[in-house]
Amino acid sequence: MLTLGAFALGALFAHGSPPQNAEKEVHQKAQITFNRDIARIIFTSCSTCHRPGEAAPFSLLNYNDVKKHAHQIAEVTRTRNMPPWLPEPQHVKFADEMRLSESQIDLIQKWVNQGATEGNPADLPPPPKFTEGWRLGTPDLILNAEKPLVLPPEGADTYWNFIFRVPINETRWVKAVEIRPGDKRYVHHANILVDREGTSRSREARPGAGFGGMEIRIESQVFDPDSHLLFWKPGTVPYIEPEGMELRLDKGADLILNTHLQPSGKPEIIQPSVGLYFASHPATRQLMLLQLENDSKLDIPAGKKNFVVTDDFTLPVDVDLLAIYPHAHYLGKDLQAFATLPGGKKKTLIHIPRWNLNWQAVYRYADPVMLPKGATVSLRYVYDNSDENPLNPNHPPARVRAGNRSSDEMCHLWLQVLPVNFDPAQGDPRMLLQEALSRHNIEKNPADFDAHYNLAAMLQARGKLDNAAKEYQIALHLRPGDAIANNSMGSLLLAQGQADQAVPYLEAALKARPDYFDAHYNLGNAFAAQENFAAASQQFFLAVQAHPADANAEANLGSALAEQGKFVEAKLHFERALQIDPANILARENLAELQRKMK
Amino acid sequence: MAQAQSAIDLDGNPVNPLAQASGRIVILIFLREDCPVSNRYAPVIQQISSRYQQDAIFFLVYPDKDESAQRIRKHLADYGYTLPAVRDPQHVLVKLAHAEITPEAAVFNRDHQLIYYGRIDNWYVEFGKPRPAPTTHELIDAIEAGIARKLPAQSSIKGVGCYIADLQ
Repeated sequence: MLTLGAFALGALFAHGSPPQNAEKEVHQKAQITFNRDIARIIFTSCSTCHRPGEAAPFSLLNYNDVKKHAHQIAEVTRTRNMPPWLPEPQHVKFADEMRLSESQIDLIQKWVNQGATEGNPADLPPPPKFTEGWRLGTPDLILNAEKPLVLPPEGADTYWNFIFRVPINETRWVKAVEIRPGDKRYVHHANILVDREGTSRSREARPGAGFGGMEIRIESQVFDPDSHLLFWKPGTVPYIEPEGMELRLDKGADLILNTHLQPSGKPEIIQPSVGLYFASHPATRQLMLLQLENDSKLDIPAGKKNFVVTDDFTLPVDVDLLAIYPHAHYLGKDLQAFATLPGGKKKTLIHIPRWNLNWQAVYRYADPVMLPKGATVSLRYVYDNSDENPLNPNHPPARVRAGNRSSDEMCHLWLQVLPVNFDPAQGDPRMLLQEALSRHNIEKNPADFDAHYNLAAMLQARGKLDNAAKEYQIALHLRPGDAIANNSMGSLLLAQGQADQAVPYLEAALKARPDYFDAHYNLGNAFAAQENFAAASQQFFLAVQAHPADANAEANLGSALAEQGKFVEAKLHFERALQIDPANILARENLAELQRKMK
Repeated sequence: MAQAQSAIDLDGNPVNPLAQASGRIVILIFLREDCPVSNRYAPVIQQISSRYQQDAIFFLVYPDKDESAQRIRKHLADYGYTLPAVRDPQHVLVKLAHAEITPEAAVFNRDHQLIYYGRIDNWYVEFGKPRPAPTTHELIDAIEAGIARKLPAQSSIKGVGCYIADLQ
């Protein structure tokens, strides 16, 4: 009897709550149903990947689907394993944030505990609609992987690169890219790198075969900094660049699709394709990718639990920060980036307290983040090389340094920026960024070849030839056999009228790379300056072989032959030059003069 | 007379795996077709079963009532399984083996007493987080113990993977 009384009292007590809490109490006691409360969460945050043809192994499109996996859903949402979204909430918002609120998670837990009931059909919101096939409609150009990769049933994660040759005959401006990785269930993520000179093809065992490797470096000779982060992970929707910010693709460029694959238990065929959408006019705004990094500090002792690496870069110009891409490997634990504005105020740009390489992503900001000249962008990464890190590739833990393999480490932070508030008459602000970044990298690591080379190139572009030469010399001291650096040094000396000094550098460039067009062309000019026209014509001949469609090479060959009195041959090459480019002044004027001589 | 609850073979006939293998160790492996974790284990499970085929007999158990015999046969073919498979829609074996997750294993000794139930190894730390390679191998330890007529050091460790549908 006493017990009964106590129960009755308890019930009375609950219903006797103050009026403003009554609604909340009723809501909490009310049955949570799929149709009224849960469906909209699933449709918004889950269905996009959990449907046929997408990355997830099962669908979540209706009550039956969800009920079948109810217990699972409750657990993975409670631990925030799903939806996969690594960054913490912060003041500066990201676009397309795939994160459940605490109350949504709570609702799901309660629903499952209450028995996961369906509810009133009238409460069910309309099911989500998805575009089948290419999300943005038929692409202007579809590129298919030449050869599929057969992913074996078991083994470690695989990193494989597919090369897509881009069949365009002139420069095009890409406003959107859709990456279709093949079978989305087995590709963890993928990103595209633009190989403007097709230098990666040499890494394929056979043309079209692709090549392995987690990280790839693309060589480039001209100031043409990367500008776009082209990335795919499950759930990625193709992004249409804002007007004017399209990606430039030139004739001869290759696209490298770098994929991260995980064996599934049975063999899988991976055959990706890429859809390109073109704009009808060139880009007007020049984006740039900046990389903060500190790989040289990565020497992590075995067993070290909290190994901290930082890097700080002060911006020499105003920029809008559009997107951010932090990158580390399996030992990365807590990754953070922030900006310190002039005046001292700090802004968190991203904070990932539980890094998981498998879910790495490019994060676009909801609105561009304005960072003024003088602001310092910093990264602070913490690594765990102990046994307590279950993803540690070494068991027992071993010393780990920077490198390209998955058992190495990395400390990179990519920023996509748009320089703003600049006077075009003052020059290209991206060059100022490149120069500042190169100087910063040299400070961190005086033996950084790329930094010295890039600084030399920037100084040369600004007309500071003596300073540029000094930097090229340092770069060459670090890598005496580097083809590009030797060619650049030779080219600079030639520009300064020092043909004799230029020749050995150009010859060194050709020793390293025998089919190097630029070096042949420059060496031809150097010999011509020395009035050694036989040697000059030999070089121009080799240049033409390397690049048959270069009018200047043909024209210069003609000139060198003419200087040796070989008029008939010379005329042939002038005519060829004009066939390639009827507007080529060198060929036209020299041909005219030759015709006068030959009369 | 009321029908006793039982697992069924792929032809629909009642079957009791434990009645089939007198004197041998019996291992039940609980699977879901749509579980990426248990699917990744397919080669491992096949390999372990081949290694111990003299002393042990493996059964793949599919507890989901919506997974038909036809779909299971396709699943076996896709993943290269050559082991006998049974359906367990009434969760008879699930309850016997205390299974909750796929993949999970249950090891019965030569006298068909349960000596281990739980994960196959520690490959997965948590959902979505596999180690580069497992560093402990509880299923193998339990099989070896059973063969030697001993008890394994670990009697049970919960698996990481997908919850079995409609668990009571």
